[in-house]
Amino acid sequence: MPQEKLTSLKEAIEMVPDGATVAIQNMATQSAPMAAVRELIRQGRTGLEVVALVGGIPIDLMAAAGSMDRFTGAAVSMEQFGLCQAYRNAVESGEIVVQELSETALNARLGAGARNLPFLPTRGLIGTDLIAINPDLVMISDPFGGLDVVACRALIPDIALIHCHRADRFGNLQMEPTAVWPDIGIMPKAANKVIATVEEIVDTEVLRNSPERTFLPGFMVDAVVEVPFGAHPTSFNPRYGYDTAFHHEWIAVARDPEGAKLWMERYVYEPDTQEEYLDRVGGVSRLEELKRWEITE
Amino acid sequence: MNDELSIDWTVDELMITSLSATLDNDDQACNGMASFIPVIAFQLARLTHAPDLVWVASAVGVDARPERVPASTLEAPLWRDSVMYLEQYSTFWDIVLKGSWLQKFCVGAAQLDRYGNGNNSVIGDDYHRPKVRLPGTAGLGDMGSIGKRLFFWNPNHNPRSFVEKVDFVSCAGWLGGGDEREQLGLTGGPELVITNLCVMDFHPETKHMRLKSVHPGVTVEEVQEATGFELLIEGSSAPETVVPTVEQVGLIRDVIDPDGMRLREFGR
Repeated sequence: MPQEKLTSLKEAIEMVPDGATVAIQNMATQSAPMAAVRELIRQGRTGLEVVALVGGIPIDLMAAAGSMDRFTGAAVSMEQFGLCQAYRNAVESGEIVVQELSETALNARLGAGARNLPFLPTRGLIGTDLIAINPDLVMISDPFGGLDVVACRALIPDIALIHCHRADRFGNLQMEPTAVWPDIGIMPKAANKVIATVEEIVDTEVLRNSPERTFLPGFMVDAVVEVPFGAHPTSFNPRYGYDTAFHHEWIAVARDPEGAKLWMERYVYEPDTQEEYLDRVGGVSRLEELKRWEITE
Repeated sequence: MNDELSIDWTVDELMITSLSATLDNDDQACNGMASFIPVIAFQLARLTHAPDLVWVASAVGVDARPERVPASTLEAPLWRDSVMYLEQYSTFWDIVLKGSWLQKFCVGAAQLDRYGNGNNSVIGDDYHRPKVRLPGTAGLGDMGSIGKRLFFWNPNHNPRSFVEKVDFVSCAGWLGGGDEREQLGLTGGPELVITNLCVMDFHPETKHMRLKSVHPGVTVEEVQEATGFELLIEGSSAPETVVPTVEQVGLIRDVIDPDGMRLREFGR
């Protein structure tokens, strides 16, 4: 028998120490492990370095809660919902330090981390101001006589937090056909530990029907937790779209610490379970609407 | 093909047709977030002069066929009916970096300077304590340095976004002008800037941004006033930007973007 990885959200997130480097799956308004992020905040984690390709609302909530003091990634934006205002305030006041990387530089750092290399090179970023300010990026000459390249130091996150469509109780993780950002492509391979929330736990026999959809074997996964709608309010293709009203509700309070605090009480601190949280965001009828993907909002 | 010019075109449509004209039949093109004008320009090119253009929607969906333009240019409704999803880490960037494909890239930047250097990082003198933290470089920091031909669009031409010198270079343009790019071994670079007032290119030697055409109803003085540096203007006037055809306007309004998502780029 393989080792059992099924656990509760509380126990899974207890694996994340203060000050850890946590890589989070997210692309603006897409596929963030939001239930896990809320649990991180509820447990009062501080001093985190958060790594993401393009961070959206999870970054804003962690910034508002004081969970993180570093962001490493390519951008932070909620696309049509605008900039993340709590994150912006924290960066502008010096509370959060940003290591801004281009996409190839982030991929190179994570790729080196996954392959046990000191660095991988890129030709991206040459000519920009982003190299000189970053101690993890160094211009080096090509030992074979070609053009100089940017050496990108290996990045090994302590934890990768991801959300997937399904898994078995042994942590074999599946994604349905969808966009695959580096969150899935490289982050879990670079990280020392992987915590996955999934829409549903299924029997291993179900995974055997479509092994091509399994992207990470259970032995690489440390904890798996069943959390339906675990990416809400971000989208999780093809299951459900992003929650427009919920994003707007957050944006309306994000700039005001008092308003943000009340909002966080209601949606982050008070709900003890995912069921309670989903009730507060509008319950079954709201979730059914999100499954229809309203594309013009 | 109906070449009759539209008499009721609007500036969003003019920007789209100007960008569409830069695309060729054998090109591939991709888009990033909040990129309504490029997304519509690619689809327009496919429906008119460049039917074989391959569009990689959101840098994910190859040859996507969305029903209409959705509110997000990154999310799944845009990649509808693709023939393939590109995985970002192992597939998308390999295809881009190889150099043979996706040679043109449309760029939106918060600040652009006279040499086409872009800034999406910070406003202010101190990167670590910025006056305004912008979203971040994302793919631009790569596209400016890996030999791509860059086409900028900006629906709000004003002196705060067209500046003498960007506060921070997060997308490499012509750097300090002249042959500075070449000296670093960089090929490609900024070619065209399309705004709500005019179209600009770059002087072949100095790489100074140059007025190419003004949109009908806009004066050269108005363009200069909206630009935070001295624009290169050859001669005493500039030609007018070619306006959209009746066919193009019809395709944009009725077929590609019936919900008018493109107007969101103009704050409407």
